[in-house]
Amino acid sequence: MGKIVFAGAMSHVLDPDYYQRACGDEGRQKVTACMTEIARMGERFSATRADALIVVADDHLNAFSFNAVPALCVRIGRTVQRMKQDRAEAFDAVLEHMPDRYPLHEDLANQILERGLASGFDLAMSWEAPVDHAFLSPVNTMHGTRPIPPLVPIWVNCFVAPQPTPKRCFDFGRHLAGVVGASPWNVGIIATGGLSHFPELSLPRVGETDTVFDRRLIHWMERGEHEPLQELTVDELHKTGEHEFLNWMVLLGAVAPARAQVRYFGELRRINLAAVEWSLP
Amino acid sequence: MEPAVSRYEVNSLLYRLKKDPEFRARFDRDARAALADADLTEAEREAFVAHDMRRINELGGYLHLVMSIPGLAAH
Repeated sequence: MGKIVFAGAMSHVLDPDYYQRACGDEGRQKVTACMTEIARMGERFSATRADALIVVADDHLNAFSFNAVPALCVRIGRTVQRMKQDRAEAFDAVLEHMPDRYPLHEDLANQILERGLASGFDLAMSWEAPVDHAFLSPVNTMHGTRPIPPLVPIWVNCFVAPQPTPKRCFDFGRHLAGVVGASPWNVGIIATGGLSHFPELSLPRVGETDTVFDRRLIHWMERGEHEPLQELTVDELHKTGEHEFLNWMVLLGAVAPARAQVRYFGELRRINLAAVEWSLP
Repeated sequence: MEPAVSRYEVNSLLYRLKKDPEFRARFDRDARAALADADLTEAEREAFVAHDMRRINELGGYLHLVMSIPGLAAH
């Protein structure tokens, strides 16, 4: 009987130099504090000796161009490679010091896919898509020099309208919990991105956040109040810069009714940084 | 919600500029010539020629692309 043994969610550009350039000394200090908490979360995850780590994150128009943009996509195969970008700028440069290739948990990924298709989730699959900073920055920050267990990367389309609804993402998380529960494996799950930044994906609004909305989301997560979270709309998330909260909705479905514990929340003018962990039974 | 389909030409061009170094080099040498065959409106074409990422974003270019094209990125 398998079990979800760890659940966490966190911001996913984890690079002091990036935030030094974007926000000065305050940016470096806050992302370093956030990374310290994420590293501690990683130590607790490693202590579970989990068989696999599901990583729910979004593509920044790197893995999927415009020939196809899947709403939900499961990475299958035996290994995954990190995205390569010549003359990488901004968040892409975060990847450059990271290992090139990571093992996948092929059996768990296949079960998520096959049982999903059998139960009404028309999931996309990919053998080739590379993973960008949204996956690898948290995974490497959590693990440091410790071995990284086999991953199951799952993409949620957070940016290219029309996106899946928060309710749909939550329901997909319930599906993940069902697959893990019926499996022989102990599994960790992380969701990445956020919190509020880049409202309406508008360049002139880079530098704005919606802290009030962030605190509302956190309030609900801390209390395990998942009904109002499922009633959120994609339009609300777009206007408040919470696009990547769709990833978190998948995790919430997987761990419900567990309650969140905030490990770090720090306001910056560019983004509100967060690290959250769930207390699992 | 903003329309998704009409953004195709602008975004596929942004994607190509990010991922195709040879095309990016041609664009850097002569943007107007590099875009000669692109199916763009005049407003879109002028925004690319001017390297005006803010305008390209207004015209539907996805933020994460306009922020990450080597040598052209807006920060």
